[in-house]
Amino acid sequence: MFYLAIKNILFYKGRSITTFILTYFSATLFIVYVAFMDGSHVSMLHNSLKVYTGSIQIYQKDYRDEGGYDYLIYDNQKIFDILNNTNGIKSYTSRIETFGIASSKTDSSAMMLTGVDFTRESGISELKNALVSGEYESSGNCLYMGSDLTKRLNVHVGDEISFVGNAIDYSFAADIFKVCGTFKTGMYEFDSSSAFLNREYFDSVFYSQNTSSYIVLNVNDLNENDKIAEAIKPKLDSQYRLYTWQELMSAMVEAMEVDSIFGYISMGLFFVVIFFVILIYGFINASSRIKEFGVLKSIGLSNSEVDKLLIYEMLILSLSAIFFATVSGGYLAYYYELNPIVIEGMSELYKDYGIISDSIPTRFSVFTITWNIGLILFLNLLSVIYPIYYIRRFNPIEAMRHV
Amino acid sequence: MYKTIFSLAIKNAFLRRIRASLLILMIASSMSVMLVIEGLYDGMTASMIDKALRSDSGEVTIFAKDYRLKQYIKYSIKDADKIKKELKELNDVKSVLTRFKINGLAGSAKASYPSDLIAVDFKDEEEFGEFSEFIKEGSLKLGKNGCIIGKELAKNLKLRLNSKVIFTSRDVNNNIVSKLFRIKAIIQSTNINLDSKTLLVPKEAIYKHIGLDNSSATQIAVRTDNEKLIDTIKEKYPSLDVMSFWQYNPLLNQMQDSMIIFNSITFAIVMGVVFIGILGVMYVSILDRIREFGIMLAVGYSYKYIRYQVMLEAVVLGLIGFIIGTVLSLVFLYYLHIYGLDMSEFSDGFASFGMSSILYTEIKTAYFTSIFLAIIFASILSVFLPLRKIKKLTPTDVIRNSL
Amino acid sequence: MRYLILISIFLSSLFANEADEIIKKLDKNMRGESVYMKISMNIKSLRHERTIKMKTWAKGKDKSFVKITYPPRDKGITFLSLDNEMWNYIPKIERIIKIPPSMMLQNWMGSDISNDDMVKQSSIIDDYDASILKKDANIVTIELKAKEDAPVVWGKIISKIDTKYYVSLEDTFYDEYGEKIRVFKYEDIKKYGKYYLPTIWKIQPLNKKNNLTTMIIEDVEYDSGFSDIYFTKSALKRFSR
Repeated sequence: MFYLAIKNILFYKGRSITTFILTYFSATLFIVYVAFMDGSHVSMLHNSLKVYTGSIQIYQKDYRDEGGYDYLIYDNQKIFDILNNTNGIKSYTSRIETFGIASSKTDSSAMMLTGVDFTRESGISELKNALVSGEYESSGNCLYMGSDLTKRLNVHVGDEISFVGNAIDYSFAADIFKVCGTFKTGMYEFDSSSAFLNREYFDSVFYSQNTSSYIVLNVNDLNENDKIAEAIKPKLDSQYRLYTWQELMSAMVEAMEVDSIFGYISMGLFFVVIFFVILIYGFINASSRIKEFGVLKSIGLSNSEVDKLLIYEMLILSLSAIFFATVSGGYLAYYYELNPIVIEGMSELYKDYGIISDSIPTRFSVFTITWNIGLILFLNLLSVIYPIYYIRRFNPIEAMRHV
Repeated sequence: MYKTIFSLAIKNAFLRRIRASLLILMIASSMSVMLVIEGLYDGMTASMIDKALRSDSGEVTIFAKDYRLKQYIKYSIKDADKIKKELKELNDVKSVLTRFKINGLAGSAKASYPSDLIAVDFKDEEEFGEFSEFIKEGSLKLGKNGCIIGKELAKNLKLRLNSKVIFTSRDVNNNIVSKLFRIKAIIQSTNINLDSKTLLVPKEAIYKHIGLDNSSATQIAVRTDNEKLIDTIKEKYPSLDVMSFWQYNPLLNQMQDSMIIFNSITFAIVMGVVFIGILGVMYVSILDRIREFGIMLAVGYSYKYIRYQVMLEAVVLGLIGFIIGTVLSLVFLYYLHIYGLDMSEFSDGFASFGMSSILYTEIKTAYFTSIFLAIIFASILSVFLPLRKIKKLTPTDVIRNSL
Repeated sequence: MRYLILISIFLSSLFANEADEIIKKLDKNMRGESVYMKISMNIKSLRHERTIKMKTWAKGKDKSFVKITYPPRDKGITFLSLDNEMWNYIPKIERIIKIPPSMMLQNWMGSDISNDDMVKQSSIIDDYDASILKKDANIVTIELKAKEDAPVVWGKIISKIDTKYYVSLEDTFYDEYGEKIRVFKYEDIKKYGKYYLPTIWKIQPLNKKNNLTTMIIEDVEYDSGFSDIYFTKSALKRFSR
């Protein structure tokens, strides 16, 4: 039976080639499309986590709801120790935020001043790469300031500004800072209101030693993020709360789900069309072979054996096409994950709008590819059903007479 | 003679009924699914563009130089009323309005947020962008001290309809002034700025309060269908910052571009596969009748005659598919145009794009004309390959071969 | 019947006038012609507790000057309020800052008083309608209802006033819908010349149960005739030392 199927496949070349090519084409397209879709989501996510958010943040419980100095983390070191003893963490750092008025000689504006460890910060965020002018890592009263804020305040690298706010014991805090570097992330709100100050100097002005608004960390492998979060949670004191990126960026996660749904709907459309074409070719093939089936039946093949023959033919065609599709689609997905497509100039073109990366990577996942090809195989087998039904309607004699 | 060709073509098209109906079904279903997807995408972008146009910028928006960066009252357009009058007299200008925006602080007993107070003329706003459609609660009957507030801001301030809200800002002389407003309407426009940080009040309510000159404004916005108008305006007012809708909303521009690219790729792939389907059916149908054509050639019919007949056959199949597809698409598109697709499960994701979570389809004649052309083209193209086979054969070949 | 109505109208208008009178007298008693105070302010929040000491000079409704004297690191910070505006001088950076509108509802020096309270302390008489709710011997409860157009965030303030000294014992601030937002309590009334003044003020915001600001008036001089020079911008720097 199997050899008969192979013989038939070789004999009806037109149908075989079309089915093979279409299956190959749709399976490859599907694998690559899904890989690009997932890849662009992962990179979107990575980019936005990389810009500033990190993959996990730890807060004092009520800070995100209440805000204010009453809900700071007052023992950084204790949490650092926990993080040091947890596997899979790439880097971590603490940040401390305060709000106040920044004034230059001519203008003033509200400003969010964040105390950071510049060296550790560069292992977490893209701040360093967002440098526009001046320098990133600086000491003393040097500020690293959003470029839109410098425009608002009408200052340049080297100019001084005054800042007035509250130290973390709510006492008055004010100082003169010097603008030493400027950055642009593309997020206007951020660029027009933030400035960074090295931790040591920040602590001396705002009395914030060993204190932070939150601690942010990155893991080695984002897929392990939830596991690592679960490992940290029980070690934290009960007044702390850990947020994973899914919670920190819930709107973005939802937006990506929406995008995936639309992606699958579009893929569904391709399948509808391809399914029909394979069905039509299969049907045309079956109807042109009615006579042949009649002969087969008359020499004693049962209906179910004829069905089997048709299914075999489809299985052989689909599986071989899918095999090649898996190899080439998988290769493409794998290759472009390691060597993302770079659209030259895109980052330049869209720099003002906040897209920092101009590479579009794929995401290679064995699980995804498996269900992708499973679905294609299922659709192909589905397309045999109608021809089988059609052939069964003829009895051998009718079939042999059929023109 | 053409009448004969035509009736023969129709007859032949339906000679193999199942084959023909499968083909028609394929064209109809892929066409309708594709159009629904395209309609939803277009509907999504169109509604975002529409809301941005109506609630904010219009097709052309004008600021004083430096205003967009500094946002101070002093960077306002001094003779805005005069400019408005002049703009109204230009050809193709549908509507012009002026707005005055003041940065400050909106406060309630429980909270306070940095906000913008925008002074508008509600009659102009209505003419400009059917403003009243954005109102979710309350009405435009503002009465004394009435104001309209963005939904998100109202939520943050823990205020509701008829609550009072205090707006504190600087007046023209740089003094701090406060004024009470009563919330008479709450708006939701999916324009993030408008929803999360804006109070809207009638101009006459605050011009005196802030000490403004009646004829000044921070923004002038123009509605027009003439894309060239902006050049005229730019020339006329070289000292002002004249921006087109796309310059003012670069993200929307980017979004629309990517939608167009995506829709074109989908269209090309789907039509390519549809072409393969038609090709298969026509190929087999011609091969089936190769003997018939041989006889026709033998008895003196010209090759041209056969070509017309086969082409027409393909076109008839394609057209019937198109007609059924059109009917199906129109049903789906109209349904979704009126009732919309409710995706509120992902409302946060949509909100992060500034979209509402109920999607309505757009219906354009271009959908149908482009598919019509593509199907006719695919049908005609699909017969060329099989016809070449006939052309090569001499009548005797044909008869001998098939006997 | 008609007679009764007439009486009640008469009484209520009398009460209204009386309430206004009480508030005015109270205001006068607090402020005098001019007043100088030495205040120690203790601010307690969930995590912190600290004490600030200051000297204040005030004249009439719209003029006040504050100088911080303790703790040493805040010493010399000065504030000037004129009408609705507020300026601040910080010796460390040697700059005068005009407090922007966006900071007006922020807390002053981390206490439970906002900058707005500091500049608007005067506007009670202009912005509220006073009426008597209850009289209990010399303790009169007055409702101060925000006027229709008054740019104040509160809906009403209920004030318990001791009419023996014309001193408030407790002010409760409500929002428009009658929800209590914060309470001021006044204790330990002392006599200074012809004026009576509570010397312990406690401010409790009700949405932050752990917060309490206590002001202790350590020294008071009424009508001592100090110079108007305090109420100029140059004073900010000059009296900082």
